[in-house]
Amino acid sequence: MIAPAAVRRWIQNNASLFGVTVLIVAVCVVGGLMTDRFFSFGNIVNVYEQSTDLALVSIGQTLTILTGGIDLSVGSLISLTSCLTSGLINGDPGRVIPVAAAVLALGTLVGVLNAGLVISLRVHPLIVTLGMGAILQGVTLFYAMGPVGKVPRDFTFLAYGRIAGLPLGATIAVVFCVLVAMFLRYLPLGRQIYAVGDDDNAARLAGLPRTRVLIFVYGCSGFCCAAAGLYLVARFGVGQPYTGVNYTLASITPVILGGTALSGGRGGVIGTLLGAYLISLVNNLLNFMDVSKHYQLVAQALIIILAVSVYVERRRMA
Amino acid sequence: MLTLKSISKGFPGVQALKGVSLEVKPGEIHGLLGENGAGKSTLIKIVAGAYTPDQGEMTFDGAPARWSSPREAKRHGVHVVYQEFVLFPQLSVAENIFVGHELRNRFGIVDHARMRREASQLLQRLGVSLDPRASVGTLSVADQQMVEIARAMVHRVKLLVLDEPTAVIAGQEVTLLFDRLRRLRDSGVSVIFISHRLEEVFAICDRVTVLKDGELVGTHDVAGVNRERLISMMVGRELGDLFPPKRAAAVAPRPVLRTENLSIAGRVRDVSIELRSGEIVALAGMVGAGRTELALGLFGALPISGGAVQVDGHRFTSMSPARAIGLGMGLVTEDRKSQGLAMQLDVAANITGPALGEITKRLLIDKRQEAAIARREIDRYRIACRGPQTPVATMSGGNQQKVIVSRWARICRTVLILDEPTRGVDVGAKAEIYRIMRELSDAGLAILMISSELTEVVGMADRVIVMREGRITGELQGQDATEENIMHLATTERAA
Repeated sequence: MIAPAAVRRWIQNNASLFGVTVLIVAVCVVGGLMTDRFFSFGNIVNVYEQSTDLALVSIGQTLTILTGGIDLSVGSLISLTSCLTSGLINGDPGRVIPVAAAVLALGTLVGVLNAGLVISLRVHPLIVTLGMGAILQGVTLFYAMGPVGKVPRDFTFLAYGRIAGLPLGATIAVVFCVLVAMFLRYLPLGRQIYAVGDDDNAARLAGLPRTRVLIFVYGCSGFCCAAAGLYLVARFGVGQPYTGVNYTLASITPVILGGTALSGGRGGVIGTLLGAYLISLVNNLLNFMDVSKHYQLVAQALIIILAVSVYVERRRMA
Repeated sequence: MLTLKSISKGFPGVQALKGVSLEVKPGEIHGLLGENGAGKSTLIKIVAGAYTPDQGEMTFDGAPARWSSPREAKRHGVHVVYQEFVLFPQLSVAENIFVGHELRNRFGIVDHARMRREASQLLQRLGVSLDPRASVGTLSVADQQMVEIARAMVHRVKLLVLDEPTAVIAGQEVTLLFDRLRRLRDSGVSVIFISHRLEEVFAICDRVTVLKDGELVGTHDVAGVNRERLISMMVGRELGDLFPPKRAAAVAPRPVLRTENLSIAGRVRDVSIELRSGEIVALAGMVGAGRTELALGLFGALPISGGAVQVDGHRFTSMSPARAIGLGMGLVTEDRKSQGLAMQLDVAANITGPALGEITKRLLIDKRQEAAIARREIDRYRIACRGPQTPVATMSGGNQQKVIVSRWARICRTVLILDEPTRGVDVGAKAEIYRIMRELSDAGLAILMISSELTEVVGMADRVIVMREGRITGELQGQDATEENIMHLATTERAA
């Protein structure tokens, strides 16, 4: 008697993971049919590697969306942290560690500030973080109008280094994602993130530490942006004031594709990671098809609108 | 257990409580009665730690209590089950029960297995068996209520406050709830039970306190008072018969609405009913029997999946709200806040909402005429408000309901469907709504009233149709329409 219900529930709970997996397989099939280079080891590693920055930002974004909020300051925060990283290190190997630590702390701090504004002003996170994004972009441009500073060669190891043949940065993202997933499942604060997103008012009345939850998720999102900023500097060798622009929208796509409800309370980071791989695959495929970067942007935007519409449809039928 | 001494609490513009004293003994079920706006909600929010009183003292369990947050009150053993449940629909039963107090193993990691086990045990002590893994959103309202109560037990509850727990459940579920509450009481828990339904107070409470306009009217042993006494305490005057006299004259021979084997969206099957002008027909049954779905289907808000509807001699196999309105039908939904009223708009705009054509002149809305119409309706239905420009959000539930009824009554020519028309409405406003309904039906409307309140069904209906699990199980008329017969039809063949 219990087994069918349990199976059904497992399928229900993981339906979205299932969906994103099917899409990944579909894109792979199309890719495989189009060119035999698609399944080469080099290309697979390439896809894995290129997903790193998006995966990092989206993991943080998943947490804010799980609480029913959103972080629209991610793009500017990435730009700011990447400029500060290369600007402050400025080629000095001795400064790498302290600057990286400071930048991660700054990212976290900005996130905490976002949460603080959301809590104290009772303004929707959409507006708070959008405003914060504009402020950060302004600060970034104040600091640097163009590419700024440089990083020592060793720093690029973060992006190009290999561990057991696998790219270091992308593997760090996977480990981080697993840690966050375990946090969400096995620590009280993690469970409470879902509760706040499921019903904010109920969470308040149930006496849940709502403030702590929000500070944590926005802080974590800020931290993830800083990590992505560091990674991008490692990849490009220099920080640029507009590096992050596209990430604000892009960071939401893998979250939705991975099955996290835009209204909060349901989903998780594993789906998001798969979502990031899916985007990376699609971009890779578009590269093979010789589609310009500009159209890739259009493709991503279409994917997110489509993904959200699929989600809405499912809700209506349930 | 709990003593309140001269508690006062004011909000800008209103003095919600004026020197109210109340004593709840250990292991008693204490009824709290009062019309809407009497101060019940404010009082329980003070007990729950959500508000702090301006004046007065509170002691709990022998010690002075001045709680700064619901969390603190909960730690001392006070748990409130609000009318709108504080539940997380997407989380599981076990997670809901332990939310904020997750059980951990010695590594500080959430122990899901133990939470599920203990959740089952708690529920079993209440006499409920639920799958602790099921997400709460998939449970029936009655089961959700049990999850709320189980959550209170996690915190070794000493005082359980239930805010109108029976507003959302019906029939047998109420009986079960009462059994479980008695079980809790016998284990030493004090219960404050808030209800609009007097018969329930007599069924379960040991003592009862009546509030009116923020003041204490009195506390009595339930054994020492009767229904009439309580009503007069609540409304401050003797209330004649709550229900207007039924129609004596025969109704029109030909039905204005009839359905042929109507099925709706998988929730209503094979329903054939007839409604005649000038009669009030009640649709009775348990919550979830498909009554609301039938109403929505008749009005075109849910798709018809089989059969047909005949209105005024025209036969339709599909319906839309626009067509239904065109046929002179009206629907007052169960949830007036989210499905009926535009809460931020004023009375006038809410009354004229669906019939803007009437007040539009050369593409512009004639505000003066709109206000004139509103004023007429306000008089006619005795809607208590400052005028046509009063925002409905500031009005009491009963008056909001009158606004919405008047809106439909104006454009309704054939059938008016009312889904739980007196839910969350105080006794005085109830009598008014009943009077309005009878007036409308005397003027020739066919009225279909969905109600879970049996006294209301018996008191108002010329004819009672009973549904169970999406089907009609019977029809009762005249002397046969008793509460027992209705319950029988609503529950037969149901595994007890």
